[in-house]
Amino acid sequence: MGHYVVRRLLQAIPLMIIVSIVLFALVNLAPGGPLAGRGQSKRMRPEQIAILKRQFGLDQPLYKRYIFWLVGNDWTKIDTDGDGIKESYGQGKGILRGDFGMSYRTRKPVMDSIKNSFKNTAYLMSVTLVVVAIIAIPVGVISAVKQYSIFDIIVTSLSFIGQAIPEFWLGLILILVFYVWLKNPLTGDSLLPPGGMYTQGAAFSIIDWTKHLILPVTMGVVGWVTWYSRFLRSSMLDVIHQDYVRTARAKGLSLNKVYYKHALRNALLPLVTIFALDLPYIFSGSLYVEILFSWPGMGRLYYQAAIDRDYPMLMAILTIGTLAVVFANLLADIAYAKLDPRIHYD
Amino acid sequence: MGCIVLGCIILAVSLAGLSPYDPYKSDMSARYQPPSLAHPMGTDALGRDLMTRVLYGGRVSLAVGFSVMVITLLIGVPVGAMAGYFGGRVDNVLMRITDAALALPSLLVLILLGAILREVDAPALKQNPVLTIAFVIGILAWMFTARLVRASYLTIREMDFVVATRALGGSNFRIIALHIFPNAIGPVIVEATLEIAYAILEESGLSYLGFGIQPPTPSWGNLLSNAQEYLVKYPWLAIFPGLMIFLSVISINYIGDGLRDAFDPHKVLTKMGEV
Amino acid sequence: MYKKSMWFTILTILVLVGLLSSGCAKETVAPTIEESVTVPSETESAEIVPTEETAPTEETEKSQIVVVIAEDPPSFNATVNASGFDALVMELVMLGLADLDEEGNAYPELAEELPTVENGGVIIDEENGTMDVTWKLRQDIQWSDGVPVTAEDVVFTYDAVVDPEYGFWINGIDYVDGVEKIDDYTAVVHYNAIYPGYLTQFGGYLMAVWPAHYCDAEQGFTQWDCGFQPLSNGPYLLKEWVQNDHLTFERNPNYYEAGKPAIDEIVVKIIPDEAVRKQMLINGDADLDMWTPENVIVELKDYSDVVEVSLSPVDRWVMRIFFNLAAKGTTDPEATPHPIVSDVRVRRAIRMAIDSATISEEFFRGYADLVWTEFFRPPYNVCDIPQPVYDPEAAAALLEEAGWTDQDGDGVRECHGCTTGAEEGYPMEMEFITYSEYGEALDLTQEFIAEKLGEIGFKLSISRVEGTVLWDTSENGGIEQSGNFDIDIWDDGYSGNDPTDFLWGYYYSEAAIPDYGYNYGRYINPQVDELIDQSYTLDDELRKDIFCQMAKILDEDLPELLLFTTVDANAHSTRLQGVRSNANEIVTWNVADWTLK
Repeated sequence: MGHYVVRRLLQAIPLMIIVSIVLFALVNLAPGGPLAGRGQSKRMRPEQIAILKRQFGLDQPLYKRYIFWLVGNDWTKIDTDGDGIKESYGQGKGILRGDFGMSYRTRKPVMDSIKNSFKNTAYLMSVTLVVVAIIAIPVGVISAVKQYSIFDIIVTSLSFIGQAIPEFWLGLILILVFYVWLKNPLTGDSLLPPGGMYTQGAAFSIIDWTKHLILPVTMGVVGWVTWYSRFLRSSMLDVIHQDYVRTARAKGLSLNKVYYKHALRNALLPLVTIFALDLPYIFSGSLYVEILFSWPGMGRLYYQAAIDRDYPMLMAILTIGTLAVVFANLLADIAYAKLDPRIHYD
Repeated sequence: MGCIVLGCIILAVSLAGLSPYDPYKSDMSARYQPPSLAHPMGTDALGRDLMTRVLYGGRVSLAVGFSVMVITLLIGVPVGAMAGYFGGRVDNVLMRITDAALALPSLLVLILLGAILREVDAPALKQNPVLTIAFVIGILAWMFTARLVRASYLTIREMDFVVATRALGGSNFRIIALHIFPNAIGPVIVEATLEIAYAILEESGLSYLGFGIQPPTPSWGNLLSNAQEYLVKYPWLAIFPGLMIFLSVISINYIGDGLRDAFDPHKVLTKMGEV
Repeated sequence: MYKKSMWFTILTILVLVGLLSSGCAKETVAPTIEESVTVPSETESAEIVPTEETAPTEETEKSQIVVVIAEDPPSFNATVNASGFDALVMELVMLGLADLDEEGNAYPELAEELPTVENGGVIIDEENGTMDVTWKLRQDIQWSDGVPVTAEDVVFTYDAVVDPEYGFWINGIDYVDGVEKIDDYTAVVHYNAIYPGYLTQFGGYLMAVWPAHYCDAEQGFTQWDCGFQPLSNGPYLLKEWVQNDHLTFERNPNYYEAGKPAIDEIVVKIIPDEAVRKQMLINGDADLDMWTPENVIVELKDYSDVVEVSLSPVDRWVMRIFFNLAAKGTTDPEATPHPIVSDVRVRRAIRMAIDSATISEEFFRGYADLVWTEFFRPPYNVCDIPQPVYDPEAAAALLEEAGWTDQDGDGVRECHGCTTGAEEGYPMEMEFITYSEYGEALDLTQEFIAEKLGEIGFKLSISRVEGTVLWDTSENGGIEQSGNFDIDIWDDGYSGNDPTDFLWGYYYSEAAIPDYGYNYGRYINPQVDELIDQSYTLDDELRKDIFCQMAKILDEDLPELLLFTTVDANAHSTRLQGVRSNANEIVTWNVADWTLK
């Protein structure tokens, strides 16, 4: 197993390089760009275009831009004042030395914005995922164990409905109900706030932060919980009908022991795969939730960068995201192998 | 049961041509009408009969949904099966490709593909927006199927009956396709049916960005994305396309569940013994 | 078993549908109920607000307003990004030499008075075609650290802007030879041409004067830290900025206008979703919304006792149809004229088939004013150009006359004797593009126009692209610059009362060179060039005459179809007084004059 992990990690390096090249090409070649008419003006003067091109480093050919992105340009001279003469050294160190570049939008290091947004998204998504797990696993298991009972029917129906609801709608309806229509009978205030992480200017309070969490977490949870619980139910059912379960029951083991100790463990395996694929969401977050609930997170950061064609920001977020996916997959495969002794990687 | 509902939907959708209304003709005097006898689903922002548009839209959306499902299966299943069965080098390469595809940012890829497709003047593409959209959505969705299939194959290949078949000299292809596949298919079916709903909703997201099915051609997705603003004021604009999506998804899910049971050899046996 | 869950599901759906439809039956009732609920909470919010303040060391209640905007400002330097959100916050903390009011007239801020030819502030050298503008600064304005605002700051700003490494380009900077400090409070701008836009050279909504002693010239204009932690000489000071979440401002006690600003604290919250911003206004949790669209204005009418909408008296953004006079994908209208729209009769026919009145009424909720010439704003709205008529039959007749008839009965006309150089039988098919970010009003307009033009024999396929794809540079494949379009529709307009730069950009022949201007239609007319050259004068009567001549020519040639103006509106709570929407600036331009009821 140790060999396998090392091999996977080594394989990750060429993978990352290839992916980074593909991403770089995608980002830079996608139509539109940071030099397009911007903001209110819709048009850019050629002088402005020329200046920005230089300041963004877009006057270099594509392959050079990639190299500068990778290893920086402080070892070479570039033309910073537009006279055609390359006279000063660049200031970038390149991603391999930890310099993710300057955002085209803010002209400040990309990492600053990412660090800020990341902690907000991680906060929200962790809570969401925990809630999802807390609800989905028991629901899925009980649903399978008591197949076709009233509980199962209600849960299955709700799952179907929940899966088909567009996330955005759900959020709008939640806001409508809990912010606009329902009011706290004592203060006449809205029951829940329409967004943000906390109330500005107020002293820190757990209740305040929790109140701000409720709606965005609900919006995120609904889609996932239905998916996970149904999946777990299906997987659990597969396991329950296996021969060895029947054998265990015949042998007289208590139902609880059979189901929750043996069957569940096996049923969880496919779930591990799916869950691992979702781990990167802790980094990327859910765009719709963040937009609707004004949550200052990675989803919004990425979306804004995509609109602005803020290449350094996009590359940074995508690269870190890819790393997250690669590690998450590795984690899933390791966990899978640990949990199922039959699986071996040769 | 699901078949009946789905059948009704398909029937209604194919009969859309019988409607007395033209789904493309605007009627400025009848904008935003609530449901009535003349317009059972109300009218839209340009005064067009919503029911007509919903039914025509159904043709497009269902086509997109099914096409996406087919595409993800066509790509995802073989990739996952081969990775899971052969393991080793094959697995590594295929999974790394899958990782890479997973890391691709859907937003950017959509923008890129959408623009490229706009430039390409191939008449085949222009006349077949459904396939184009399905291709775009499918390209970004096959990975989940692949991973699922791979996981199943990884487990099942160690099972006795597979080992036995191999010992008996069964060819790899035979084993992959005939023996493991029916057993692996359980979670895949669940997933594939969800793909359809996902595809329809993704199409509405694409429409929002400007790439999906272009107006004035209706599709459930683009009808939904236009209606979202008016959820409170003119709810019928959103309810009816949404309802159609619900019903389609649910009936497809039921069919999927049924298919899963049909493929489960254990279930068949146990049915005889217990419920 | 399946049956049971199936029926249950259907039941649940029916119940949900029932709830929702009964929800819409209650529609007419809901607003009145809400109104009676929001009125008490409105008075309560005035009391609630102070309790949200931290550590109230002041005895008196602090007044506070909440402004909601869609995006985080990229920085305080509105010149560089021009997103509008940066201008909003820049107006709160920084002043320029002069600003523009809602009528489009300049008024002095840092300057004592506006320099004009009459008061000797502007000296023109007719022979050499140069001029000098002398700015006399007020002597009573200080930066918040006590250092007075002097001519030094003006010179510093100029130097920073023209720095080749980290500077930027602003309107008119090419005509400026230099800025000279005469004494502490006098600066002279030396122009090498007669430039009518000199009043907003270091002002307007995009430019401010930056502190010489605080900003780091080394870092450069486009990225200095003082664009993030600004030193204020305006009505407010920046207290805190939580990226992507909110900014808090408190009043500047040393602001030069005594007694102003009246409001103690302003919180700017970033709320990306429009529906949420609207609800916050209705609920009383927000006092001002930036750039309120037409459909929201209409919806807010139901809540008129808590929310008002301020409309700009003069409009700026004109919705227009752009024709590509060169063939799609090319940029030379003479060598490769467009097969369909290069014939002016076709363009006139299209104009006659567009029902602007209905579009304005239905899709823009009556908030769009019909215009048909560039010169609809004072002081140049004196030209007598006849209003176009909506007459689809005449349009069809004109197309017949121009050689476009439908001989194969498919509803789409083909060229049979047309004069554009298209081959015989060339169908009238075009791609009709717009940008997706505007919203539903423009989307519907596009569909509506396409349908109406379809009725007279056009076949238009609709495309919606992102703005950045539409307006990108031609070398990057930007649609407009590279001429890769047939006809588009989108809005544009200029700030202030001086259209010269705008006209040059759209109608001058040189501006048709890709990436050199914005003459996307590739309209070449030497007469118009001549008139534009002549308009670089300060003689207003002469300019009026020149512009009217231009108006006539443009009305004959129709390189663009001007349809209507779109509204510039900002919704605000009724307790907030003094908000005056200004199409030339951002709504916070007169924040110092705002008060709370």
